[in-house]
Amino acid sequence: MVIIGENIHVIAQAVSTAIRERNPSVIQGLAKAQAEAGVDYIDLNVGPMKKDTEETMQWLVNAVQEATDLPLSIDTLNPVATEAGLKACRRRPLLNSASGKTVSKEQMLPLAQKYNCDVVISVMTDKGMPPDVESKIESIMDTVAHANELGIPNEDIWVDPILLPISTAGEGQRFTVVNLEFIKILEDVLPGIKSTAGLSNTSNGAPEHLRPHLNRTYLVMLERNGLYSAIADPLDKELMRLTRGEMPEIVELIHKAMDGEDIDLSRLSQKEVEYVKTAKVLMGETLYSDAWLES
Amino acid sequence: MEYKAPVEAYAGVVREVTVGKGKKSLKIGGENILPFHFFDQGSNPNPAKFALEVLDMNPQDWPKHAVEPFQDVISDPVQWAKKCQDFGVDAISLFLMSTDPAVKDAPADKAAALAKEVAEAIDVPLIVYGSGDEKKDAGVLPRVAEVCDGMNLLIGPVLKENYEVVGRAILDHGHTAIAQSPLDINLLKELNVKLSKFFPPDRIVIDPLSSALGYGMEYSFSLIERVKQIGVITKDSMTMMPIIANLGVECWKTKQAKENKEQGLLWEGMTALSLLLAGANILVLRHPETLKSIKETIEAR
Repeated sequence: MVIIGENIHVIAQAVSTAIRERNPSVIQGLAKAQAEAGVDYIDLNVGPMKKDTEETMQWLVNAVQEATDLPLSIDTLNPVATEAGLKACRRRPLLNSASGKTVSKEQMLPLAQKYNCDVVISVMTDKGMPPDVESKIESIMDTVAHANELGIPNEDIWVDPILLPISTAGEGQRFTVVNLEFIKILEDVLPGIKSTAGLSNTSNGAPEHLRPHLNRTYLVMLERNGLYSAIADPLDKELMRLTRGEMPEIVELIHKAMDGEDIDLSRLSQKEVEYVKTAKVLMGETLYSDAWLES
Repeated sequence: MEYKAPVEAYAGVVREVTVGKGKKSLKIGGENILPFHFFDQGSNPNPAKFALEVLDMNPQDWPKHAVEPFQDVISDPVQWAKKCQDFGVDAISLFLMSTDPAVKDAPADKAAALAKEVAEAIDVPLIVYGSGDEKKDAGVLPRVAEVCDGMNLLIGPVLKENYEVVGRAILDHGHTAIAQSPLDINLLKELNVKLSKFFPPDRIVIDPLSSALGYGMEYSFSLIERVKQIGVITKDSMTMMPIIANLGVECWKTKQAKENKEQGLLWEGMTALSLLLAGANILVLRHPETLKSIKETIEAR
């Protein structure tokens, strides 16, 4: 599993202050910590970017590249900032992200071709978020066909199904189920394609101390269905151990839950029981509530 | 070829909850089929029940045509409750409006004494709703539970914010709880999970909030429907409780119901019928004529 470290994100107050004040040490500290945790890429999420776009992105890319040799994921909806970032990258970067929206097709996808980089393409279109598996497949096939015409091969495309919070009233579990199914059939309809997903979004809105349960379990489930990569928190040590194959018993247990096997909870440790319960809410088998581990 | 209609059998059974004591008791829930799916395998041993509203003070915003059936008793909750019985109710629902800090902020003792007086005066079980102010209810509802010790009233709303203190008092004094959450199935389940840690789940009734026709009823419908599906089909223990639809108050708030009597009856009737179809087990109505027409509709008279 290719892990893209998510921790350099403007939503974090420390990061946004460091960028504004051009203070590289905070940023470089986060880059090093993620590199040491074993990430494959470092995501630079600068948000929509309103002013000093190019200069800010160049500064950020250079600051991170002083701290690590890892390739970067340039994560902004602003095409000017994206291009500045791609130009400054020493190693082949990941453009994160394009989508099926007209503006993205016109302004983002050509950049991926121009700079010969990998590109994340989400299922989003001008009509918004496709609601079910069929419409997600349909929209991503359209956008990928467009990218292919521009000269971007499937092998350079990382499809993002867009994960949404499981805690969203009523609907959240439908999203987690739909995305498991979508990832499962993606490779069949678009051979050679890669995929990635913003993992932590799944647990957004759940109680803070329980979020890692959802992130870890869902990652194992998505990986089994063929997910190639995830944008995730590498500072979650257990998550990283799971991706490295260091917890095979837990992985096997989650797979059993996915297969609907009868699992005797009374014979499991508390940790194992929690993984099984979490898998069952993520696959929509039991109704989600913030107290899902307690029932 | 002969057509054979498929017959479903479900895994879950909604818990049967008893409200009231002895002769003054009724059972709700207990079904192992989806609402009105009499063609499937299973049954609903306790068809839907109906309660009428009684307020602990003169209604402030009721239109004349809603007050009219109770004109002579509207200032006396005990007589009002007795009069409701003439209309063939299964239960009475007493609303302790006056305790609301934003209304009269009436003291808990007074409210509890009235609840007891009403409960003793009627021949059907009593439902008691606090004002819904989570802090005030945390004082009022435990007092009601204590004063009415052992009468097995149906008391609520028990909320996420006060379930520990209110739930404990309801349990200790032998009553049944209405667990209320704001139109969200995940929060509904969470409250039931937390409450059930110390409270027997077969003494919990779910109030998912019931919106009126044209004012969000479809949300209530979908939610009640889903609670029933998840309980009956997937056997989720924390949704296998009967549902109370407290809809009269919402219907009679609408402009349409206030405008004239016929519209009001239709508004309340259509909302009630819809929520019955969704799976509500006990409905709280305001107008006795709505009660009559709904009963006739169900019995297809």
